[in-house]
Amino acid sequence: MSLAASAGALLDESAAAFLYRPGISITAAASDGRSVARIGRCLGCRVAADRTRVTVFIASAQYRTFFDALEASRRIAVVFSYPSTHQTMQLKGSEAEVGSLAPGDHEIIARHVDDFVDELGRLGYPRDVVRAYHWCEAAEVRAVTFAPSAAFEQTPGPGAGAPLRRTA
Amino acid sequence: MTITVDAIRRCLEGVIPSTIATCAPDGTPNISYVSQVHYVDSSHVALTFQFFNKTHSNVLANPRATVVAIDPQSAARFELDLEYLRTETEGPLFESMKAKLAGIASHSGMAGVFRLLGSDVYRVRAVTPLAGKQLPLPTPRRNLLASLRACSQVFERCTDLSALLEALLAELEAKFEIRHSMVLMLDGAGGRLYTVASRGYRDSGVGSEIAVGCGVIGVCAQQKTPIRIMHTTAEYSYGRAIRESAERAGMGGLETAIPLPGIADSRSQLAAPIVSAGRVLGVLYVESPEDLRFSYDDEDALVALAAQLGVAIRAMQETEDLHEAPRPPARPGAPSGGAQVVVRHFAADDSIFIGDDYLIKGVAGAILRKLLADHAREGRTEFTNRELRLDPQIRLPDVSDNLEARLILLHRRLAERSGALMLEKTGRGRFRLCVNRPVQLVEVPRT
Repeated sequence: MSLAASAGALLDESAAAFLYRPGISITAAASDGRSVARIGRCLGCRVAADRTRVTVFIASAQYRTFFDALEASRRIAVVFSYPSTHQTMQLKGSEAEVGSLAPGDHEIIARHVDDFVDELGRLGYPRDVVRAYHWCEAAEVRAVTFAPSAAFEQTPGPGAGAPLRRTA
Repeated sequence: MTITVDAIRRCLEGVIPSTIATCAPDGTPNISYVSQVHYVDSSHVALTFQFFNKTHSNVLANPRATVVAIDPQSAARFELDLEYLRTETEGPLFESMKAKLAGIASHSGMAGVFRLLGSDVYRVRAVTPLAGKQLPLPTPRRNLLASLRACSQVFERCTDLSALLEALLAELEAKFEIRHSMVLMLDGAGGRLYTVASRGYRDSGVGSEIAVGCGVIGVCAQQKTPIRIMHTTAEYSYGRAIRESAERAGMGGLETAIPLPGIADSRSQLAAPIVSAGRVLGVLYVESPEDLRFSYDDEDALVALAAQLGVAIRAMQETEDLHEAPRPPARPGAPSGGAQVVVRHFAADDSIFIGDDYLIKGVAGAILRKLLADHAREGRTEFTNRELRLDPQIRLPDVSDNLEARLILLHRRLAERSGALMLEKTGRGRFRLCVNRPVQLVEVPRT
């Protein structure tokens, strides 16, 4: 099944760049289709060239309840937060697909984890703990791809929860 | 095997932010970082509600939520299956979380942005460990339960309050490596706490006061709940607490001449209420220049010790009342030599000056005036707690006011500030006034 093509990408270039920012923290939730959402920690992301699709990487053996929920509803929310500024954005989408990693994805993951360990290390967190938190078997990592249908500013403060405005 | 929340409390210190996932009524998932997942009891947690956000509106409509919390030492992760119950906007839980959040906000550069609107209380349906790599935990330096047991032995050993407080603070240092500590007692009427014992400060600060409701100590007494802060925060700092205390001093003049003891670089603070028969008697307070120094386990230990202290204080007071010592006969003390010391008593606030130096005011000041007046008139040096308790001029604010603590305060202030006068305990509920130099008591009437 192909992803629904949107008339234009929801994300502008600066929003897409934020998703890639070195040191970014990424976590996803999937609804089980009834009333419960489950959490999966992400190991990095990839944005399609036309910015209509976003792929996040999640360890399937560790976050089994997330994948069970995603299979049931295919509805996903992903939060991206930059630890030192708390700048935060949330994307939502439906019809999410779970697939294998593409060539180059393992390199994206390795770089993402290194950058995140560095960012948190600079903030005073123990690097070995942050690295252990992101450890996984390469074979268990799945690529979860979705077309963002909504984006929200979630930086703590009075503007949290507002739909993202396009700047470009 | 079911895991209860107390088994994973280390994950709930707010060191590594947790995430919470909720579902809107139409099934749309939402995911958010949360500053604090607060341990309430073995089957409840509370989350900070800071902004009217999607998480809050979702749980009001659909109470199910999922949290993933991380152990900051081992990186172990746990999935908490939650059900939203209610939001509390005042009271002990709210105030504990507000203080803790102020520390987290200040540490993460979000002071003024993170503001607690409410404590969202959740029932924990299940705690499930997630697979993944875990680091071996470092061997703890000591077992806090063993420390607590050893520390508790001071209650078996000590029979008077002064020795008990001194021994307790010494044991906190020996068994818990807590080097800065103090005990404050509640002034029954004045809405204030006065320092009666301290350890680990350059100046003891005995006699200094803080208003109920101000800072870590004042909020602890007001809410009858432990308050623990893991990072320094201006909102609960001494400086501010003292300023606010002074502003509230309309209630009868807070002691400001004696500075509250405190370390300049205090980063972790913990206050535990001393409670007996449902009433707050005072606060046991500890602090450290290290971030994250006091854990949930330290909090439990301090709360347990403060509870024992409450029982001990009450028992000592009751024993003292049982042993009603007869009023000792007036017997002139040995004549004292040396230059005369002028002691002035100001009726307006019962403050006492020895020469030009301020000593104390309030109840302790009124006690010293009575002792000196009796000494001048009858040459008495032997006194009982009971006669002080019954003396209308001393105006104890409350029948249950801890007179022994007032005497400890007076004893310490005299020992620190004056060589001319001393108090000496001579038995249960009795003591001696030692006058080492000739004293002239000058009464300064209310103007």
